[in-house]
Amino acid sequence: MADVRIRPVTELDIESICRIDERITGKYRPEVWEDRVVYFIRRDPDSSQVAEVAGKVVGFMLGEVRGGEFGMEEPTGWLEFFGVDPAARERGIGRGLTDALLAGFKKRGAHVARTMVRTQDAEIGKFVAAMGFTPAPVSALEKRLA
Amino acid sequence: MTDEIRMLPDRYHQAIEHWRQHNFPDYPKLAEVWPKFFPRDEPFCLCAKLATDMPAEIEIGDDIGKPKARIPKELSTEAAQHLVGQIHAQASTEFGSIQQHQMTLFRAQEPQDEAWALRVMAEELRHGYQMIHLLTSVDWSPVTETKPEDMVEEILSMQTGSHVLAAFNLEFDSFLDNVVFAAFIDRVGKYQLTMQKISAYDPYASSMPPMLREEAFHLAAGVIPLRRWVEHAARGDGYIDMSSIQKAVQKWFGRGLEMFGDERGGQTNVKFGLKDLSNREAQDLYVQECAKMLDDLSVRYVRARFPDRTREEADEIFARVRAGETVDGLQPEDLLRLPDRRFFRRRGEPAFQMVGTHGETFTDVEKYIAHVLTNLPEAYRASVDVKHWAEMQREVHVGTKTLKEAMASMPRLARQAGGCPCGKSVRWVVDANGRPAEDVRLKT
Repeated sequence: MADVRIRPVTELDIESICRIDERITGKYRPEVWEDRVVYFIRRDPDSSQVAEVAGKVVGFMLGEVRGGEFGMEEPTGWLEFFGVDPAARERGIGRGLTDALLAGFKKRGAHVARTMVRTQDAEIGKFVAAMGFTPAPVSALEKRLA
Repeated sequence: MTDEIRMLPDRYHQAIEHWRQHNFPDYPKLAEVWPKFFPRDEPFCLCAKLATDMPAEIEIGDDIGKPKARIPKELSTEAAQHLVGQIHAQASTEFGSIQQHQMTLFRAQEPQDEAWALRVMAEELRHGYQMIHLLTSVDWSPVTETKPEDMVEEILSMQTGSHVLAAFNLEFDSFLDNVVFAAFIDRVGKYQLTMQKISAYDPYASSMPPMLREEAFHLAAGVIPLRRWVEHAARGDGYIDMSSIQKAVQKWFGRGLEMFGDERGGQTNVKFGLKDLSNREAQDLYVQECAKMLDDLSVRYVRARFPDRTREEADEIFARVRAGETVDGLQPEDLLRLPDRRFFRRRGEPAFQMVGTHGETFTDVEKYIAHVLTNLPEAYRASVDVKHWAEMQREVHVGTKTLKEAMASMPRLARQAGGCPCGKSVRWVVDANGRPAEDVRLKT
């Protein structure tokens, strides 16, 4: 982690985030990331974070504090999107991003952070578990609409 | 992390509301579009916000480690005078940018672009309110003989053409100016606010974090429309081409650089603990950031122009074209680039040096003026501002004006300072009975 710099996301990180997303998913989706990044910048520019190595963004983590959703009134830090360049993994970047994001949530008054992981995303599930997230006493439910 | 909310005394609050009616008539539209474009966000609040978790000790300069000043008289007289000048200039920029945005707001092509610009304008109004709060909430009499209501009066009387900094005296010619201004000039604002966050004057330092959080969106309100426009330009289905964007960059970049102050200065602010970077240090960082912004926009353009190429192939095309090659019809001039920082400068170290967009130097003043005109937006070329610059450039060249005189010279624009338009020179600040503050004197 010595050469990694964690800092709040800015509008100039969008192209780098698109690049990381493209390396992970194989898709170039600039409009998607423009909308997402602007949303978090607009609402809470201090919480969402990027990780830089040698001045190059190699990871990002986007989230915000909201309250009152699903009957959970307490201010909750929601971890919503993250990604680390495959070439930069296993260097503690995900942990650095998580620590910074959660510190921002705490500063904003949240005492709990939450996220959701699809069952099939085992690798992501393993990562968030390693970050200290545990199964929450809530159920994620869905109903397919014809 | 909660901000402390402060409201101005009614007469100052009303003065700003009144100013808004004249200078930001589209403000009511913001409430209409807010639920659609900012659905989960807190409603806009015209108020002063102060961060409550700021360091209590001075962070830089001669008095590092000492308690920060809570009132102006706790600063040295010289430091306090620098500070009041900073607040005055900052206030001028906030109100000035609203006047500029309002000129061409109606030309926004996308509802989202208009909504974002409206929010930016409203937040600039809040930032102006914040500065007025700083000027009216404490006793500045040990520092300046000007009464608070007169300081407010002067600030609210400024028009495009009479503001403190040149960037706020340029008229907008199209909505492209709204967007490029947000990307370039608000970016200088971000640097100024960041530097001022360490101010030895606690109320000023505490004003910065809430303003910076809002400023982050203002920069996005510049960059995101540009990202979308370059994509359209690459596909050939937009209204704004790369050349127009490039020329708008050349209109604003030099004015942005000059907002940092002379490249050789700024050490006094550091010494007094009012900022943490000298002018050149801050300007260097700004230039790097602007260069990255234009590179990212150019990459977006290349990806849209060659949608079948992989990321690696597109990166290679970008690198080759940036190095001067033409690749598959894509020429270096199709990409966006920063002009040389000495291009079209009228303040600071390179003022009136005849340096072109690529750093080339000119010896013939008429050839240089022609070069500058070719590289500026057509509508701006015909402006009083450009005409004045060309006159000064000629006079400096032949020696009929000194550099100092030319740097101090401002164009005479049609709109100059004046009182409230509805009162035909009546003061902005009035007391609770509707009379001008302090007395019934009218400005003449």
